[in-house]
Amino acid sequence: MNAQTSSVGHPTSGHEPVFVGDRRNELDDILTRYPTKMAALLPALWIVQDSRGWVSEAGMAEVAEALELTPAYVKGVVTFYTMYHQHPVGRHFIQVCTTSPCQICGAEEVRDAFLRHTSCEELGVTSEDGKFTVIEVECLGACGFATPVMINEQFIESVTPAKVPEILRGLK
Amino acid sequence: MTTPPTAPPSAVTLTIEGRQVTVPVGTSMLEAAKTVGVLIPHYCYHPGLPVAGVCRMCLVEVEKAPKLAPACATAVAEGQVIHVHSDKALEARKGVLEMLLINHPLDCPICDQAGECELQDYTFQEGRSEGRYREPKRFNPVEDFGGDVVYVANRCILCTRCVRFMDDVAHDPVLNVSERGDRALIGKFEGEDLTHPWAGNVIDLCPVGALLSKDSLNKARAWEMDRTASVCPNCSQGCNMMVETRDNVVVRLRPRPNEDVNQYFMCDHGRLNYRWLNRQDRVDVPHVRNGSGMGPMGPMGPMGPMGPTDFDGALIAAGKVLSGKRAFILASPMLSNEALYLLSRIAKKTGGAGAFRVPQGDEAPLPGVEDLSLRRDRAANGNGAELFGFTRTDNPLAGMKSGDVLIVADEELAGVDTPNISAAGAVIVVGTMVPKWAAGKVAVVLPVANMAEEEGTFTNLRGRVQRFLQAKSPPGFARPTWWVLGDLLSAIGEKTDYFLASEVFAALAKDVPPFSGLTYDNLGVKGREIAGASTGARA
Amino acid sequence: MGYPHKPHGRETTVLSKHFGNRDAITLDGWKKFGGYKALGAALEMSPGDIVTLIKDSGLRGRGGAGFPTGMKWSFMKPGDGKPHYLICNADESEPGTFKDREIMRWTPHALIEGCAIGSYAIGAETCYIYIRGEFTEPLERVEAALREARQAGIIGKNAMGSGKAINIWVHKGAGAYICGEETAMMNSLEGRRGNPRIKPPFPAVSGVFGQPTTINNVETLAAVPPIINQGANWYKKFSRSDNPKSTGTKLYSVCGNIQRPGNYEVPMGFPFKDFLYELCGGPPPGRKLKAIIPGGISVPIQTLAEAEASLMDYEGFVAQGSMLGSGGVIVVDDAQNLVRFIARAARFFAHESCAQCTQCREGTAWTTKIVERIAAGDGSIEDLDTLLSIADNMTGKTICVLSDSCATPVVSGINKFRADFEASIKKRTMHPVPAVA
Repeated sequence: MNAQTSSVGHPTSGHEPVFVGDRRNELDDILTRYPTKMAALLPALWIVQDSRGWVSEAGMAEVAEALELTPAYVKGVVTFYTMYHQHPVGRHFIQVCTTSPCQICGAEEVRDAFLRHTSCEELGVTSEDGKFTVIEVECLGACGFATPVMINEQFIESVTPAKVPEILRGLK
Repeated sequence: MTTPPTAPPSAVTLTIEGRQVTVPVGTSMLEAAKTVGVLIPHYCYHPGLPVAGVCRMCLVEVEKAPKLAPACATAVAEGQVIHVHSDKALEARKGVLEMLLINHPLDCPICDQAGECELQDYTFQEGRSEGRYREPKRFNPVEDFGGDVVYVANRCILCTRCVRFMDDVAHDPVLNVSERGDRALIGKFEGEDLTHPWAGNVIDLCPVGALLSKDSLNKARAWEMDRTASVCPNCSQGCNMMVETRDNVVVRLRPRPNEDVNQYFMCDHGRLNYRWLNRQDRVDVPHVRNGSGMGPMGPMGPMGPMGPTDFDGALIAAGKVLSGKRAFILASPMLSNEALYLLSRIAKKTGGAGAFRVPQGDEAPLPGVEDLSLRRDRAANGNGAELFGFTRTDNPLAGMKSGDVLIVADEELAGVDTPNISAAGAVIVVGTMVPKWAAGKVAVVLPVANMAEEEGTFTNLRGRVQRFLQAKSPPGFARPTWWVLGDLLSAIGEKTDYFLASEVFAALAKDVPPFSGLTYDNLGVKGREIAGASTGARA
Repeated sequence: MGYPHKPHGRETTVLSKHFGNRDAITLDGWKKFGGYKALGAALEMSPGDIVTLIKDSGLRGRGGAGFPTGMKWSFMKPGDGKPHYLICNADESEPGTFKDREIMRWTPHALIEGCAIGSYAIGAETCYIYIRGEFTEPLERVEAALREARQAGIIGKNAMGSGKAINIWVHKGAGAYICGEETAMMNSLEGRRGNPRIKPPFPAVSGVFGQPTTINNVETLAAVPPIINQGANWYKKFSRSDNPKSTGTKLYSVCGNIQRPGNYEVPMGFPFKDFLYELCGGPPPGRKLKAIIPGGISVPIQTLAEAEASLMDYEGFVAQGSMLGSGGVIVVDDAQNLVRFIARAARFFAHESCAQCTQCREGTAWTTKIVERIAAGDGSIEDLDTLLSIADNMTGKTICVLSDSCATPVVSGINKFRADFEASIKKRTMHPVPAVA
């Protein structure tokens, strides 16, 4: 995928390749673990998201080329898995578990507290300063520590509405 | 899949809807049921695609089994007793139909698929009379998939036939299932369209009105169309097809299954190349040049104006033009075996010869099906023309000798710059058109039907002889090509009396050794290969 | 132990002994607790003997289905010339369940040891640990432990000098509950959408990459080293005297309206009533227990009477109208209306349906809309009949059981807690909506 030769208007135009240098080596290393190239698709998409914050169409096309797949195939896979962002998100991506076990422990109030204190107002909408995006997430697998909240890679247990302002203060 | 008369040990015997059936090991319940005339309702299953087992429509009850079985994805077992129409199976399918309809718009009155829609058919057959869904329906916008295909997502039942066709048959995975749950829909990548030369098949494969042809959008309702078994004339593959006409106009070509030729498919070139069958600028009345029957023609004779006449007059005129002359025949490789055979007899009778040219295009295979391709030869019957002794050449007029009567047999030589016919003494046109380059020298015009307007056979590139039937009537006084040529033979002194195309075929089967033993009856609707056909691929 | 609480005297801690103990996380620490002794011993045994030992122990799958582990391993035919694979299912996503998370956080080497023994027993040179993407901390701990184990030569081309290759890799999921279903997990590993596959073929015949594959849950594999160390008879002792079909200890995750939520480990057959009140401390002050889901949200809801009569093993929960499932105990108290709870559960399944089968794709969403409408005060009594009928159409008719799982809380909820539904319906505020399909 050469950014210079891409045609104007195509989703891949102007895309700075992800798989160069260390990241290329990382992908090559991952490829040795599987008998097929396709198996490296989820890991490759993680590399794209880790380096760019989301998986753009251009990113999908680059992954497709690296793994000898078609972009349409890659897109079908990306849209299956909810953790790949298909749009840019806030610097702090806040996921509040509201599935039944957390719901009965007050998760919805925690969710509302995050929406209020980040001024996001609406789920999935990034705050104007680009700092926060808040979403509801399905079971985070920490139901005994209701309400678990994930902020980017960080996992916070037993969040209550009262703790929300303090958590947010710690985020730059 | 047929049942062998004596079952080999690799066969399984079971009972489906009270009928005993013996099929090879590994046969699916759905295919086994077909062999005894039982259609198990289904959507995602298609015999030309890998099994997905996702629509769950083909659930059947198997005695002693705890759960209903998906008939498409379950192999038969010895001694099984299968009920397709038991209460339990019917209830399950009724449930599936209801689920398929909850988000499906009830827009049949404006849907192209109406009348040939499997969702309509099965709902009518075994669905609920009234739905129980009271919630808002899902909405997604219509999307242009490129090529000839438009996607109406709201009607999609996610059977994934289209995705599997592009993946496993076309080997061009440009479609996917995007998202999940009830948000799922068929997706593609921006800028990567359904431009594969065989992509149009997804329209036929779609059991509902989700994938539609832009070409035939809103043109005709399914029940207004007449359907005729035919063979695609647009390349030498000979894909079996249906010609669909409305009010004597061809509106759509669709593939007709033939395991040995095209399975269930047809390329976009063939599918969309039908407008010439509806040309309005046809010659539809016999013409003769004034005085052409009265004296020598050409540079030595009078060149009066052309005028209409009847077939009897035109044939007498043609006989006179040909009298004592050598005929040189410019044949179209789109003509039937019957027409080419009679032309070869005219050449023989007059001591003449004939040649043809085959227009060329790019080869475009369908990789998932062995030996299926849009062929370079963009004409149906080049193979037949050669078998009847015509010379294949890029310069088909080169063999014409000075003073020959040139018979232009429905060939316009499209794409050739001003063909040189200066050697011809006179020209007889047996065709649907009078080519401009021949107009000055034409003595007689005998108007004929095109391939959709007559019956006949083609010989494909593997030597398979296949019948096509008449789908519409010819314009004006135009007659089937074989009829006109039979009369022309009589006019030059070789008496023929063919009343049916089958009689011409019987004659050629007797005369031309490769066709020996073939009859319309034994060709059936799927054709047979000529003796010594050089395929080696299929019996 | 009752992590994050102090261990309770009536617990039997085999798997959870070191939860909360940072010393157990590292290789050095783990070795001090006897780590990798079992792997060393196993590599001295023949694979067949290990399979027999695990069969004898009565160990059954801890992921939910309870299939006998030794028998599953015996389906793999060593020496058939094909590559074999072991997949460790660490996709723990069943609402109410968070036990595998603690195993990976506190004793990652216990899991690796189990994976290595399992790989050797089934003739697999490659094992993938499929960890759900949200488990960032467990994933880091397992990755770190794998690096240690590789560096120490415990796993790799020549595991513990045995001449056997045992490679173990982590594969990170990306947010899909259904990938916990074994065939969906295989598709996901191959780089596909996590769609469950039609069986047959079964994984032991044609699994990941089309090769013979075994998939075991984290807790199942973590239980293998102690069984190797202490023998099948030791493990079998943890069972009811009248039910030899369920053996060993089981980790339970407890959450919801309960005084001391967390992980508890008890032997098979433990009385559920004692578990709920003594170990977990019962309901919050001033409340009463109302409904219990003993095995993750996919199993039927129990009434309090059913729960209190249950003995905690595979058969014990079935006898009281539910299932052991994954051991995720969700407790609901009398302050809750179950309709909201069930609506949210249905939404979970609608969100997670892979979209393959019609009944699941459409049925989970339809069910959600109706239950949410009832919860919002716009339901009718007829809706309950419709829900039960939809649930029937969703049960036992699809490729996997996600569809059934969505129907389960609806059916058990309506049948056992109809009063909650009727209370919601009585609040009805809007006019009935006519059918649109």
